[in-house]
Amino acid sequence: MPQLTYLEAIRQGIWEEMERDPSVFCIGEDIGIYGGAFKVTDGFIDRFGPERVIDTPIAESAIVGAAFGAALTGLRPVAEFQFMDFIGCAFNQIVNMVGSAHYRWGAPGPLVIRGPSGGHVHGGPFHSQNPEMWFVHAPGIKVVCPSGAYDAKGLIKASIRDNNPVIFFEHKYLYRRIKEEVPAEDYIVPLGKARTVREGRDLSIITYAAMVHTAIEAAETLSKEGIDVEIVDLRTLAPLDRDAIVTTVRKTNKVILLHEHSRTGGLAGEIAAIINEEAFDDLDGPIVRIAGQDTPVPFSPPQEEYFLPKVSDVLREARHLKAY
Amino acid sequence: MAKKQKKQLTAKPTRNSTDSNQRTYTIPDYRLEKPDFDVRQVRKGSKVAYEVTGDMSAPVPPIRESKYLNKKQCIEIYRWMVLNRRMEVTLENLYKQGKVVGGVYFGLGQEACSCASAYALRKEDWFAPMIRNQGSTLVRGFPPRDIMMQYMAKAGSPTGGRDGTSHFGDIKDRNMVAPISMLGDLVPVLAGVALGARLQGKNLAVMTYIGDGGQSTGVTYEGLNFAAVQDLGLVLFVESNLWAYSTPSSMQYRVKDLAERAIGYGIPGVIIDGTDACQVYDAAHEACERARRGEGPTLIEAKMMRMKGHAIHDGADYVPKAMLEFWRKRDPIARFENFLVNVKKWLTSAENQKLISDVETQVEAERDLAVASPMPEPESAAGGVYCENGCHEIKPKYGMPKVKKGTAATLERTEAAIHLK
Repeated sequence: MPQLTYLEAIRQGIWEEMERDPSVFCIGEDIGIYGGAFKVTDGFIDRFGPERVIDTPIAESAIVGAAFGAALTGLRPVAEFQFMDFIGCAFNQIVNMVGSAHYRWGAPGPLVIRGPSGGHVHGGPFHSQNPEMWFVHAPGIKVVCPSGAYDAKGLIKASIRDNNPVIFFEHKYLYRRIKEEVPAEDYIVPLGKARTVREGRDLSIITYAAMVHTAIEAAETLSKEGIDVEIVDLRTLAPLDRDAIVTTVRKTNKVILLHEHSRTGGLAGEIAAIINEEAFDDLDGPIVRIAGQDTPVPFSPPQEEYFLPKVSDVLREARHLKAY
Repeated sequence: MAKKQKKQLTAKPTRNSTDSNQRTYTIPDYRLEKPDFDVRQVRKGSKVAYEVTGDMSAPVPPIRESKYLNKKQCIEIYRWMVLNRRMEVTLENLYKQGKVVGGVYFGLGQEACSCASAYALRKEDWFAPMIRNQGSTLVRGFPPRDIMMQYMAKAGSPTGGRDGTSHFGDIKDRNMVAPISMLGDLVPVLAGVALGARLQGKNLAVMTYIGDGGQSTGVTYEGLNFAAVQDLGLVLFVESNLWAYSTPSSMQYRVKDLAERAIGYGIPGVIIDGTDACQVYDAAHEACERARRGEGPTLIEAKMMRMKGHAIHDGADYVPKAMLEFWRKRDPIARFENFLVNVKKWLTSAENQKLISDVETQVEAERDLAVASPMPEPESAAGGVYCENGCHEIKPKYGMPKVKKGTAATLERTEAAIHLK
């Protein structure tokens, strides 16, 4: 089985969907001859032609609006945002034109908005954001955040086949740092389903995207101390896999919620409320949140390190929670 | 003079460069009068108010004969306009009877623009109205009761009560994109419809509207620029009705005529009299034909005035009375009626009266049906957020053309550069 990087897995996923379904096309900035800022669409224009790989002006509202218009004629656009930080430029189109369209007037918007998000690369406030929560909150929009190559390929294919608008947040730090075995044959990973990355008995870490790897590293150290950590990778943030959340809490009775996104208004608050509603009696300790700081993402490497959740944060909280 | 009237309405801009830094484009202006007045904020004693200056004494010009419309078509357009107005009068009455939820928005004085423009579309073309273009939805086949039920938030409205006013659509038969309240967002979406159709081998005309106020938004620019650079067949009617809520055009933009923006987009622009149904149709028809030939978008500035307030609650006392008087004389229905009955003698007085009373009968029947229809059950608010469990089968509407794939590129490749280290 071939070993692919996270980025190459996404690239192959989109390519395979474009081969399989002629109604799929790509639209975005610099995705044609340049192959995309991160080379996700490298080679696409040669294979599929400029009709299906469209370079746009710098106009995020128009990229999303035009993708939606094309979707109304029955096509499946994949719109690239060069950095997901720029998603704010199309916020109104995404939430008010596309997200609520099926509810309001019965018009499905089968488009995928995808692009690189996340920090650890000294990108500063506008090239490091994790903007997922604006859209987890908005009705009608699915939000996907893969943590590995296998999942990334299966999830991008599932997202393209989904009849709803899907925002696919790729973590740029993982693009070339993660390599996994990825099957050559067609497969999908279903949306709305979490995955247990590591089975454990003492406590659960519920997390997603790059923080999954932070959790894995911490878990390895903790296992040498006799603390057996279960890790659940959410994969899809909206719709959330409530069953997976409840199941892991019922199993270990202690939970850490970990995300790179800033603490306030982050997904951990939502998950904590769900656990409170559905598994309160199964808790043997308080729900712990580990999240990014409530600031914009700073640029200078020592400052960014202060901002981001670290393995040492997870070790400290896990030891404390285990002893509770 | 007759020769000038026969000239093509939406000619490509002529580009004369007298030196390398200068370009000059002509924007054809097909109006038979060019009213020139200005609205400014002035202090009058203890109050600040709007004052209009300029010559308001010109007589009403005649309707400019259409190059394309025959007698039957003119009468049909006229009937749509009468229906449009009659429906809005009925909506106003329903509002006063307390049967409307929320506000009512009127297109009084703009019926020629809404109806004659939509009349130029073929069945397969797409469109999207704005709030005052109810006439266009009628022309496209929505019965008046659908619009009334939208306003009364009835269960049987096209959105099942989930949205009101003109915020409904139909992607199957009438090819209408539902507007949202934010202005300008329809422009890139309609451009995308044209893009999607072209990917499927079809050059359609797609039409939408934007006001002199709405065109100020950034998304208007992004959408029209995208349509221009991609040569998408977007026919954009800029409805220059002089007031954006309480803001006059002089406080909305600096150009003299919004059609001049076409120069900035690199597309043809044209100015027409929005109260003259023939001018509206001719400009729409030629722009749609350009679109269907794959020649790209057109910007049509239709000049007229909004004859009521922004919505029913707005008495619009801020509008100088002299402006209302000037444009009242230019009522599009009165002008077209005069044209059909007195100038062309295509309708006798009796036929005209019968047409009007038939419309009234039709609207009353529609109103009765709409009023009698039920409100939605509260639980009907739940569900439908996602398209799932097979609720829609999505496939290309026009069939995919066979696009030749390049054979050179393969899926395998080696290390590539990244944007950030």
